[in-house]
Amino acid sequence: MKLIPGFKLIISVLTLILVQYSYASEDQCFNCHRDLEDNPSKLFVEDVHYKVGLSCSSCHGGNSNSDDMELAMNKSAGFIGVPSLNKISEACSKCHSDAVFMKKYNKNILTGQFEKLKTSVHGKLSVNGRGMMLQCTTCHNAHGIKKVTDSRSPVYPTNVPATCNKCHGDASFMQSYNPSLSVDQLTKYRTSVHGILNAKGNTKTAECASCHGSHDIFSAKDVRSKVYKLNIPNTCSQCHSNKDYMKDFPIPTDQFEKYQKSVHGVAVFEKQDLSAPVCNDCHGNHAATPPGIESISKVCGSCHALNAELFSASPHKKAFDEKKYPECETCHGNHEILIAKDKLIGVEEGAICLKCHAEDKNQKGYRVAKIMRSQIDSLMSLDIVAKNLIFQAEQKGMDVEEIKFKLREIHQARLETRTIVHSFNEAKFKEVTDKGFKASEMAITEAKASIDEFYFRRYGLVVALALITFLIVIIFLYIRKIEKTKSV
Amino acid sequence: MKNQTKKFYDWVDSRVQLGDLVAFMSKKYVPVHSRSIWYYFGGVSLFFFIIQVVTGILLLFYYKGSSDLAYESIRFIMSKVQFGWLIRSMHSWSANLFILSVFIHMFSVYFEKSYRKPREMTWISGMFMFVLALAFGFSGYLLPWNELAYFATKVGTDIVGAVPVVGEPLKYFLRGGDDVTGATLSRFFGFHVALFPGIFTFLLMLHLLLVQRQGMSEPMHLKIIAKAEKKTMPFFPNFMLRDLLLWLIVLNVLAILAVFFPAELGLKADPLASAPAGIQPEWYFLFMFQTLKFLPAHVWFIEGEVLGILLFGLAGLLWLLVPVWDRKSSRGQQNRWINYIGIFSVLFIIILTIIGWVLK
Repeated sequence: MKLIPGFKLIISVLTLILVQYSYASEDQCFNCHRDLEDNPSKLFVEDVHYKVGLSCSSCHGGNSNSDDMELAMNKSAGFIGVPSLNKISEACSKCHSDAVFMKKYNKNILTGQFEKLKTSVHGKLSVNGRGMMLQCTTCHNAHGIKKVTDSRSPVYPTNVPATCNKCHGDASFMQSYNPSLSVDQLTKYRTSVHGILNAKGNTKTAECASCHGSHDIFSAKDVRSKVYKLNIPNTCSQCHSNKDYMKDFPIPTDQFEKYQKSVHGVAVFEKQDLSAPVCNDCHGNHAATPPGIESISKVCGSCHALNAELFSASPHKKAFDEKKYPECETCHGNHEILIAKDKLIGVEEGAICLKCHAEDKNQKGYRVAKIMRSQIDSLMSLDIVAKNLIFQAEQKGMDVEEIKFKLREIHQARLETRTIVHSFNEAKFKEVTDKGFKASEMAITEAKASIDEFYFRRYGLVVALALITFLIVIIFLYIRKIEKTKSV
Repeated sequence: MKNQTKKFYDWVDSRVQLGDLVAFMSKKYVPVHSRSIWYYFGGVSLFFFIIQVVTGILLLFYYKGSSDLAYESIRFIMSKVQFGWLIRSMHSWSANLFILSVFIHMFSVYFEKSYRKPREMTWISGMFMFVLALAFGFSGYLLPWNELAYFATKVGTDIVGAVPVVGEPLKYFLRGGDDVTGATLSRFFGFHVALFPGIFTFLLMLHLLLVQRQGMSEPMHLKIIAKAEKKTMPFFPNFMLRDLLLWLIVLNVLAILAVFFPAELGLKADPLASAPAGIQPEWYFLFMFQTLKFLPAHVWFIEGEVLGILLFGLAGLLWLLVPVWDRKSSRGQQNRWINYIGIFSVLFIIILTIIGWVLK
């Protein structure tokens, strides 16, 4: 039978109304509350649970088939009323922790949220001392719960910052839990690249949950936290190293790979050094933004203060500013900052100075770089000579502990050259190398004296043994003489 | 030259009557027999003691007996003081050789039964000196205030603490508190350079006086030989010259050891650091230490360590009183049990020391 298109539409609408009515007619709780026009029932119409056919009694208990209020809201029928404190999350977890039940609605849905929440920082006891700090409804709402993919949901990516900020931006509320925690994260976040894009409706850009997690949030001091210092590079790289994910953003994706090889990355990953910088130390955390050309030396200088200070007073500062060279990055790179070895300076192959200075171009810089490198090499050679001599003396059993202090002075001078080099001033550099030369000269002299002392002891022993042995022989002969005389 | 010497001798003789002393010594004879060699170990022990006194006084010029300065002062002696390294090495080596020599001297006297009447007092004074020699070693070991010394002293005083009844107060007294600290170092220093030398010198004088007065003890088998057939040598100058000869040989050995194997200093003691692995006492305590380690935690109702300490205490007491309970030897009769006990003791000490050394 061929039906006309308008008739088709009427049939469909009627069927839909019938289906809706048949659902509602079974849920007597909803029917009554809808008639009362209360807020929960108004919100519940848009609730994801309502849409999949769950009734009020699924969370509140009672008999939803009865239109008799006494019977429907009777405790014997399991009516619990408005759940409070942990009962709220327990009511949610009845279904959301049941993998078999949840698969009926969404085979990919996760079911461990409540367990994660309980162990998270939010699962700790609230100031009332009777329940967790946070319940499911705190973030997801109660009667108007939407899917995470629904832009009206408070946990939809673009809504997450505001949702978290409800508590985290409330200074008086946060005072009760963590007075030292700042409450301006959202403000900072809105200044960041992530925050700006998020405000524009970009759902791929990082929001609170992207870095901190959702149900399994831990304090940043907790090693399990995604934002624990040593975990931050991996957390950031989840997005920033994913080429497919980052294809909409015009930035490279090799930062993590480079960082791993850098002196900072080695300190973090191999030495578990908490003082080494990770992503947020240079880029900021909530206000994450790549440092600009002007501010690089300030960012690096927050740790490498002396180097930054020396550089700012050096002739390079003006030159770099004029040419708009990023200060530290020009010589050291950014994510792949390698250990600053002596070979970086000078005029030989591999030296950075050659980038701008050559024998026929910027000659003064070329000359100074050459002298500095030659002094560094001399100091290194003297250090090796001193170490070898001290080793020899030690092998001979001599006490070289005091001479070893001189080695420390040489080492210290070598370290200082790596700082003072940022002044790019020949005279200041020479002051430091001279200290090293003096210490190495003393170490070499004392080590040689120690070796000489070793041989002196050996020769002295031979002389002493010879003298004593001579006495022994004399006494022996004398004894023989007197005993012979007696026997005669 | 000869005349000058004679003149000087006469000058002294006219004032202190040296002639009497020379006459006494030249009339004094030392028995000569197949076991005469053992007579020299008393003299060698004396020589090592003299070296200890001389080198100890020299060390005292620079040593500072406080936990803040002790280690540094020894380092100073070894690296800055002229021949300081030699003096310290000689002191350290001589201490060990002194105890070795005392051990040999004690066992030779024991096996020869020279402790028998009338030399009971000589034996007992010698035994006290032996105990003091061990105490010298124990107290001196801490003085450099290095890591090994610190923890060895801790272990050693802990063992003292395990002695029933008097252990704990004695431990507290030795340590100058609950733990090994600078207070322990100060009192060990006091014991080592004042108390022990004072007592030791008195005992040594007594011991030498008795030896001079009673002469050298003859082995028991020589009793049956007629006096005219017995071989002897004058104490002065023959025996003394031989003594001197041996002293010089020993001095050569000591010099070689001190130069080729100088005493180490190690790391400074750090009471907050954990004890390094393989902490052991000096070799002469090793047999007792190893025995205590081998004993089970409990033997019947008594703690193994306490039992060990009590047994060593009892054995030491019996050893000290051997002239009292070995009546047979005093009567000139053979007492094989003395030999068996002595052999067992020597083997026990050697074997347990080797085991302790190997299991380090």
